[in-house]
Amino acid sequence: MFPNAAQYGQSAPVETSLIELALYGTVALIGAIFFLTILAIITLPLFFGAMYLMELVIRGFQNLVDPVGKYAKLAGLVFRSLRRNLLRTALTYIALFVLTGMLTMLYGVITTIGKMTTDQENSQLVIMSEKFGIPSMMKPGYAANLKGLMRDKLPKEMQPADIDQNFMTWSFVGGTLDPAKMTQENSLFLFALDPDAVTNGMMKEQGLNPEDLGEDGWAEMMRIIDLVKQDKRNIVVGADRLEKIGKKVGDEMKLFGTNYKDIEFECKIVGAFPPGSRMGMNAAMRFDYLIAKLDDYRARTGKDHPVADRCLNLVWVRMPNKAAYQQLAAVVAEPSSFSNPATKMETFSAAIGSFLEPFKDIFWGLKVLIMPAIVVIMCLVIGITITIGVRERWTEMAVMKVMGFQPWQIMTMIVSEAMLIGTFGGMLSTWAVYFLPMAIRSITKAIGVKFAFFDTFHSPWEIVLYGPLLGILVGLIGSALPAWNARKVKVSEVFATVA
Amino acid sequence: MSAIVEVRDLYKSFSRGDEKIDVLMDLTLDVQEGEFLALMGPSGSGKTTLLNLIAGLDSPTEGTIRVGDQIISEKSESELARWRTRNVGFVFQFYNLLPVLTAYENVELPLLLLQLSKAQRKKQVENALSLVGLGDRMTHRPGQLSGGQCQRVGIARAIVTDPTIVVCDEPTGALDAKSANDALNLLGLLRSELGKTILMVTHDPHAAERAQRIVQLEKGRLVGGNPLPALARLN
Ligand SMILES: Nc1ncnc2c1ncn2[C@@H]1O[C@H](COP(=O)(O)OP(=O)(O)OP(=O)(O)O)[C@@H](O)[C@H]1O
Ligand SMILES: [Mg+2]
Repeated sequence: MFPNAAQYGQSAPVETSLIELALYGTVALIGAIFFLTILAIITLPLFFGAMYLMELVIRGFQNLVDPVGKYAKLAGLVFRSLRRNLLRTALTYIALFVLTGMLTMLYGVITTIGKMTTDQENSQLVIMSEKFGIPSMMKPGYAANLKGLMRDKLPKEMQPADIDQNFMTWSFVGGTLDPAKMTQENSLFLFALDPDAVTNGMMKEQGLNPEDLGEDGWAEMMRIIDLVKQDKRNIVVGADRLEKIGKKVGDEMKLFGTNYKDIEFECKIVGAFPPGSRMGMNAAMRFDYLIAKLDDYRARTGKDHPVADRCLNLVWVRMPNKAAYQQLAAVVAEPSSFSNPATKMETFSAAIGSFLEPFKDIFWGLKVLIMPAIVVIMCLVIGITITIGVRERWTEMAVMKVMGFQPWQIMTMIVSEAMLIGTFGGMLSTWAVYFLPMAIRSITKAIGVKFAFFDTFHSPWEIVLYGPLLGILVGLIGSALPAWNARKVKVSEVFATVA
Repeated sequence: MSAIVEVRDLYKSFSRGDEKIDVLMDLTLDVQEGEFLALMGPSGSGKTTLLNLIAGLDSPTEGTIRVGDQIISEKSESELARWRTRNVGFVFQFYNLLPVLTAYENVELPLLLLQLSKAQRKKQVENALSLVGLGDRMTHRPGQLSGGQCQRVGIARAIVTDPTIVVCDEPTGALDAKSANDALNLLGLLRSELGKTILMVTHDPHAAERAQRIVQLEKGRLVGGNPLPALARLN
């Protein structure tokens, strides 16, 4: 769902229509609610189990000396009140679970975007692209030019230790199996690059790194890269794309260039990017194969291919620090460096930031309107449940007051009920959203299958804390009004015949 | 012998919107320690209101109420709450037990507000429940008990703190004849064996007969009967 630099270079996001976006949003929302509701129902026994366990512990405390024993007895009353109407408690739990889950997902999206668009101080991945053109199309010689500028115009300490090791070029190649009728099922999007870029960690942001792939996955990737190095025509295709086009590792195929017209690539698939990973739907080929094909074209037709002079789309450089990047950006911006076309340099995070620029209002709305609205709805849900519960027990609370229970004691009881549901709802929901993908990952890893969604879904760890805290807060706010009302029960009115 | 409840020049009105409703007017009443008093009168005459005032559930508009050595008409709401725990046992028409608690726990509830040891609490609950003849039903919930049994649990709960007065608002109102009779026997027993002071509101003349004295309330005033207890009737 996040842009990769391919989209960034390939098409302008502004073209995504708002209606389309709203449609995707609605489908995602319904899907999330459905998924969370199922999860809530599945975890219902866990919820009641946890409550029962806690009640057992409290019951154990009841046998201790006072005042512990005494307060444990009063706390026991809270649990029993919640058990009194199991259906209502269950429905409240489900509602809170779903709402917390939605909040968690939104939080995950927003923090991930925040992280991606925040510049890292050290080791900056920066991108050079065409300044005005979208998609960015630069002269192939720009790569060597840039290397030269880095060597000559930057002080030694601002240069990467080894420029070649921290440098990557990207060319975007579209290919189809059937040039007559191009469909999703017969076409491919390929990054043309130097295979060493993967080994050097320059493809880190595309998920090709030991952390995302795991140790075994990374070793496998190195093996595949070795294969790619053996023959120009060897390519790697994302597993999801392979499935879509009905091919498998080992197959050979002829790809007709779509943005490189009249060029045919004879490819052999020697490996696959993991399903569900950022490269899952894409493919990668060797840059020198593209160049070789462009040379063929000239030999064949006697003239340059129309795009040959614009076959470099992006250049990636890893700079040692922010100051070095800024210095390089200044050099690149000078007209004497690159003029036709002019280029610009920005950090990867800034690139994503500018990609997301048109969606800024939506993210702002999510953060400032939707997320608080969900919290308000959570408070209302608790408020309604507790209000009904208080109404039902109006006389009982009056009776307790008759016995001498103080208004604050009654209030504490009511608020505790709300906080208990809130805490468990918030806790189980965020924990499920956090730990379930983890559990599924380890299970699928153990039995050796891959599950695209769960391989990439990582929530920020802090939700594990925020969930219960949110539950406590929502319980507190939601029950404030009914608890205040319960506190004010006028005993004499409850028992008199008020005409 | 001094009165344990002393009501002097009591006046109580409620205001509903702009309207002021006088419920009790110029009412004076004494109840002797160990007396079983029945309060009768037509519906709406203010019986419950009077009982609530004496039990410290509400404060009078004017006048004073003394119970034991405390002038309760001067107490604040939270002082009254604390006072009630020790000094008032309340028996309701509809028992008003907490349905989620067992008989034992229902009776124990008011004791949780007092500084008692666990053993002492247990002893008092068991005593109260066996006194009302439910020593074998301690773990039952109200839903598992008959109306008569529930009311006996209610009575046990009312006396478990050993209160100064026991007030009952139509304690037999929801019971069949036999259960009502049992409950009344029990109240009589409380007075004769334990020397409890009992104030009972009732519509039922048979129930009122069990009391030593009956006072009639009509439109907020005591009518007929002597507001001061006749010593002779006490024995
Ligand atoms: N909190 C209140 N606000 C307004 N009016 C009240 C309130 N409590 C009692 N009243 C009024 O005071 C009058 C006496 O009520 P009370 O409940 O004391 O009557 P009662 O003698 O107990 O009647 P019943 O035999 O039906 O129980 C009634 O007219 C009632 O409407
Ligand atoms: Mg009444």
